[in-house]
Amino acid sequence: MTSTATASLATDLGAYRTSLRAYLNNGDALDRWRGKHHGSTEDRIAEHAALMAHLYQDGWNRYGWPAEAGGHGGDERHRGVLYDELSAAGLPVPDPQLMLETLGPAVVRFAPDLAARYLPEYLRGANWWGQGFSEPEAGSDLAGLRCRARREGEHYVLSGQKLWTSHGATASRFVCLVRTGTPESRHRGLSMIMVDAAAPGVSVRPIALASGYRELAEVFFDDVVVPADRLVGEEGQGWAVAMYLLQWERAMYAWQSAAVALRRFRELLGQVAGKPLPDGAATRIGECYGDIVALRARSVRTVRRLAAGETVGPEASVDKVLLATAETSLHDLARDLLGTDFVLGAGADTGDWRADWWFSRSATILGGSAEVQRTILADHVLGLPKEPRA
Amino acid sequence: MTSTTMDTATAELLTGSLRELFAGSAGRAVGPALAALGWAEVVAEDPAGATTLLFTEHGRALASSPALDAVLLAELDRVLPAGNGTRAVLYPYPDDGDQPSTVDGPVRGLLLAGLESVDEVVVPVRANGAVALLVADPAGCPAEPVAGFDAGSGWLMVSGWQPAGEPVPAAQPWERAVAAGRRALAAEIAGVCQAALDLAVAHTSARVQYGRPIASFQAVRHRLAEGHVAISDIASMLDAAWATAGSANGGAWAAAMTKLRAGRAQAEVMRHGVQVLGAMGLTSESEMHRHVTRAGALDALLGGHRLLSETTGRALLAGAPADPVVEV
Repeated sequence: MTSTATASLATDLGAYRTSLRAYLNNGDALDRWRGKHHGSTEDRIAEHAALMAHLYQDGWNRYGWPAEAGGHGGDERHRGVLYDELSAAGLPVPDPQLMLETLGPAVVRFAPDLAARYLPEYLRGANWWGQGFSEPEAGSDLAGLRCRARREGEHYVLSGQKLWTSHGATASRFVCLVRTGTPESRHRGLSMIMVDAAAPGVSVRPIALASGYRELAEVFFDDVVVPADRLVGEEGQGWAVAMYLLQWERAMYAWQSAAVALRRFRELLGQVAGKPLPDGAATRIGECYGDIVALRARSVRTVRRLAAGETVGPEASVDKVLLATAETSLHDLARDLLGTDFVLGAGADTGDWRADWWFSRSATILGGSAEVQRTILADHVLGLPKEPRA
Repeated sequence: MTSTTMDTATAELLTGSLRELFAGSAGRAVGPALAALGWAEVVAEDPAGATTLLFTEHGRALASSPALDAVLLAELDRVLPAGNGTRAVLYPYPDDGDQPSTVDGPVRGLLLAGLESVDEVVVPVRANGAVALLVADPAGCPAEPVAGFDAGSGWLMVSGWQPAGEPVPAAQPWERAVAAGRRALAAEIAGVCQAALDLAVAHTSARVQYGRPIASFQAVRHRLAEGHVAISDIASMLDAAWATAGSANGGAWAAAMTKLRAGRAQAEVMRHGVQVLGAMGLTSESEMHRHVTRAGALDALLGGHRLLSETTGRALLAGAPADPVVEV
C-alpha cells in the first residue's frame, strides 16, 4: 500500500473499515485462523501471534498507533474497527492484543522511547507483554503492593512477586507496578517499570485455570537488575500511570470483548440450530443478545471519548459492569443450551465452550472486581456516604 | 458522539421549561402547552435531543398526558388524509406487542387520555397480515379508565370496539411509528428510573441505622450502583437507536432492543429502589410506589421487556442476523 493510501485510511475511518472488510473476506489466506481449536494456551497464543504478524505485514493492525511506535496513525476507533471486523469475519481477536490495549497507550504516553523500541515488535507478533500489578497481598487493594525496586546508580534492582499475570508464561516483557518508596507510602511510593522476562533472576510459574489452560502466571523477581531507562513515567508516578492505563483496560477491553462475544453468540446459535432446546431458550437468547448489544452501545461511546482525547473517569466502571454481565450471560447461556453436552460432550466445540466458560468467570474479577466497580460508582458517581474504614 | 446537536446550556434551559410545564398541565392540555413553548421548532432542529429530553422529563415528573401520540402521528399522518382537528392513537393491547387487532373482529387497545376533546381516533388494525389504519369517529368508542397497577396513568382501555372506516395500508409507517414510540418510551422510563434512584439515594443518605447512614453499607451501595448502571444503559442504547432512526424502517430493530433494555432497567431499578427504602418503599406514604407502577405501565406499552426478549430470541433462532446494532 502506498504511503498516500495509508495516510488516507488513517484519517478516514469509513474507508479503513471498508478496505479492511474487503481484505478480511478476500480469498482463503486467513482460513488458517478460522474455527480453530487449540489444545493449550501456548499453542493458541502462538497462532494468534502469527495472525498479528500477518496483519502487520499488510499494515492492518498498525492503524490506531502513532508512527513513532511503528503504527500508521489514526486513533482508538481504528483499533475498535479492527476488533469488530475480525469478529465479523469469523476470525479471533489475537490474544496479545488484549495486553497491547491495556499497556500500549500508557507506554506510548509515558515512555515514548520504550514504545519506539518495543511496540513495533509487539504489533508484528514477535513478542508480547504481561501486566505485573496484582500480588499475593495486593489484589483489589493494589496500593498495598510490596514488590520493591531500589535504585542503584543507573539501574533498579527488583525483588518480590507478581500474581495472576495474563499471558505470563509466554510474555517476553512485564510492565510492573513496583514500590520505590517506603512500605507505608501506599499509592504515593509506586513506579511503573518494564522488565525483560529473560533477565537473570526472573522466574515464571504458569497457573492453570480449572479448564487446564494455563492462562495466568506467577512471576518472581530475585534481585533482577533493570536499566533505569525502563521506567514508564517518573519514579513515584506509578499510580498516576496505572490510573491512566485503567481507562484503556476498562474501555478497550470491553469493546474487544463485545466484538468477540457477538462472534461467539453467532457461533452458538449455529451450533444449537435445529436441536431441541430447553424451555425459555428463546427468551434467554433474546436477553443475552441484549446484554451484548448494550455493552457495545455503552462501550462505543467510551472508545470515541478516548479517541477524542477525553479523560474517562470513574464512569468507566459502568462499562466494566456491563462487560461482566454480557460475558457471564453468554457463557451461562452456552452452558444451558448445550445442556448435557456441555458436561459430558467430547467435541472440540464443546471443549472450547467449557474452557471459555471458566475464563468468563474472570470477567467479574480481573481489572477490578465486580464489587470494586460498584464501590467506585457508589463513591465517585453517586456520591454516597463512604463505607467506614476498617 | 451522540445524535443530539443540543448544547448543555440549551438543554438545561429547556429542561427548566419542561419541568414548569409538567408542574402546571396534564392530559390533553400538555399538547397546547408544548405548542405555546414552540416545541415543534425544537424537535425540527434536533429530533433526538428534543424527544429524549421531553420524554425523560415527562417520566421524571410522572406526568400523565398523550404526548406520545404526537410521536406516532408524526409517522402515521404521512399516509392519512389531512387531519380534521385533534387525533388520538389507539395503542395495541400490551400482550400484542406492536401487533394491533385484526380488522375483521372487534379491536382492543389503549388510549393515553380521555376522548372528550378528540376529533378522530387513529386505529391500527391488521388486514391480510399487514398493518393498516382506520380513522374512526370517537363517538361510540367504548373506553373505560384503566384501574390497574398504575392509578395515575390516566389511560383508558378499549375493548370490543368495531370502528367504521376505510383501512389505509400503513405497514412501513406503522413500523416507523412503533420504533419512534419505543425510543420515546425508553427515554420516559429512564426519567422515571432516575427520579426513583434519586429518591433512593436521598433516603439512604439521610436514614441512620447502627450509627451511620444506611447508604454507607455495602449491600445498599451496590444496589444503588446497579441502578445507576441500568439507567446509563438506557442512555447509550438511545444513542444507538437514534443513530439508525433515519433508515427506511425507522431503525425498528435498534428501537426494539432499546425498549427491551429500558424495560429490564426499570425492573432492576425498582427492585433495588423499593428494597433500600425499607418498609417505606411499599407504602403510599413514600413516592416510590408511583415510580414503580408508572415504570411498569410504560414497560408494557408497545411490548414489555419479556415479550421483546422472547420475540427477539425467536427471530434469531429463525435465522435473523445478530445485528451488531452499533459500529465505531
